[in-house]
Amino acid sequence: MAYSNKVIDHYNNPRNVGTLDKGSNDVGTGLVGAPECGDVMRLQIRVNPDTQVIEEAKFKTFGCGSAIASSSLATEWVKGKTVNEALTIKNTDIVKELSLPPVKIHCSVLAEDAIRAAIGDWKKKHAGSEAAAEPVQAKA
Amino acid sequence: MHPVVPNPETLSAVTCWSCLKEIDKAAHFCAHCTKLQPPADSDYFSFFGLQRRLNIDLKSLEQEFYRLSRKLHPDVYARATEHEQQWSTQKSSLLNDAYRTLRDPIARTEYLLELEGVKLEEQSRSATDEARAQGKEKQQVVPPDLLEEVFELNMQLEEMRMSKKLGERDEQVAKDLEAAKVRFEQTLAGSNTDLQKLWQEWDQVIAGGADAADPQRIAVRDKMVALLNRRSYVRNLVRDVNEALTADV
Ligand code: FES
Repeated sequence: MAYSNKVIDHYNNPRNVGTLDKGSNDVGTGLVGAPECGDVMRLQIRVNPDTQVIEEAKFKTFGCGSAIASSSLATEWVKGKTVNEALTIKNTDIVKELSLPPVKIHCSVLAEDAIRAAIGDWKKKHAGSEAAAEPVQAKA
Repeated sequence: MHPVVPNPETLSAVTCWSCLKEIDKAAHFCAHCTKLQPPADSDYFSFFGLQRRLNIDLKSLEQEFYRLSRKLHPDVYARATEHEQQWSTQKSSLLNDAYRTLRDPIARTEYLLELEGVKLEEQSRSATDEARAQGKEKQQVVPPDLLEEVFELNMQLEEMRMSKKLGERDEQVAKDLEAAKVRFEQTLAGSNTDLQKLWQEWDQVIAGGADAADPQRIAVRDKMVALLNRRSYVRNLVRDVNEALTADV
């Protein structure tokens, strides 16, 4: 499997590896898996409660190079976005950016799942508050 | 007498190209003149003349494999027509693929599920597409606590690898790993037993003549998909734990 340069770069220098405090009210945690291969990924975000901007993102992935690169890229992309903006990130964007081959598409799916799960978890923590009452925009 | 030059374009699947008598669609050789037949549009099961069942007698599968290997071998057709040479090459490679897939219980099951319309490689992506379109969170295909456990164990494994690198040996980590290894090997063995039960169910449904749209057939199929999804995580864990335990200190 020949990896693209971008994948290799993210793989060798993964951005934002680490952990945020799962219990914190401002943190959303997404833990997802790819049944195709049995790999798992955790992505966490820390959201500014006033602006809903994602100020910090961390990931930890046990999986292939493409999954590590996809999650590394995902943390870079969500940072600075509001949660609703971050929900518009699609796995196909990741595929394009990293030039992933068809057999590695599920690795990028994992990263999108992780973003959505992390945001979902954060929203759950804020259920009832104004921020979460705003419906999630469905973007095709 | 002129040798008949076969033209695959004009061949009916049930007429021998050589003697023009009626033959079985999936037959490799003409029942009348014994000539090699062109590759039929067959799946791995029908290539071996098998029904789409999951309990397979491996001994007879192996025997059939060796028998066909000999009979389809390109050497046998070195002096035959160009078409026959081509067919023997095609069929020989198909034979190898089919045998490799069918003799392995998991590969066999996965292959059958694909034949039954399941896109194992794509289920995750389609679920994600759906969740995105509906603005909902995707339902993970395995229970969250399994994911949690898998993740935690991976963390432990990493810790152990790290302390090994530093030349330390953390007894507690090693003990935890041993325990986890036993637990996950049991889980894996358990899922293999469960799979065999589902095979049984499947074969009964097929023996009962259920067609592709039969709800029972679909139900068993989906149970197998769910089981294989779970299994992939456990299989990785067993592999990784074993790797970590056997790696040189
Ligand atoms: S191979 Fe599993 S996530 Fe890439």
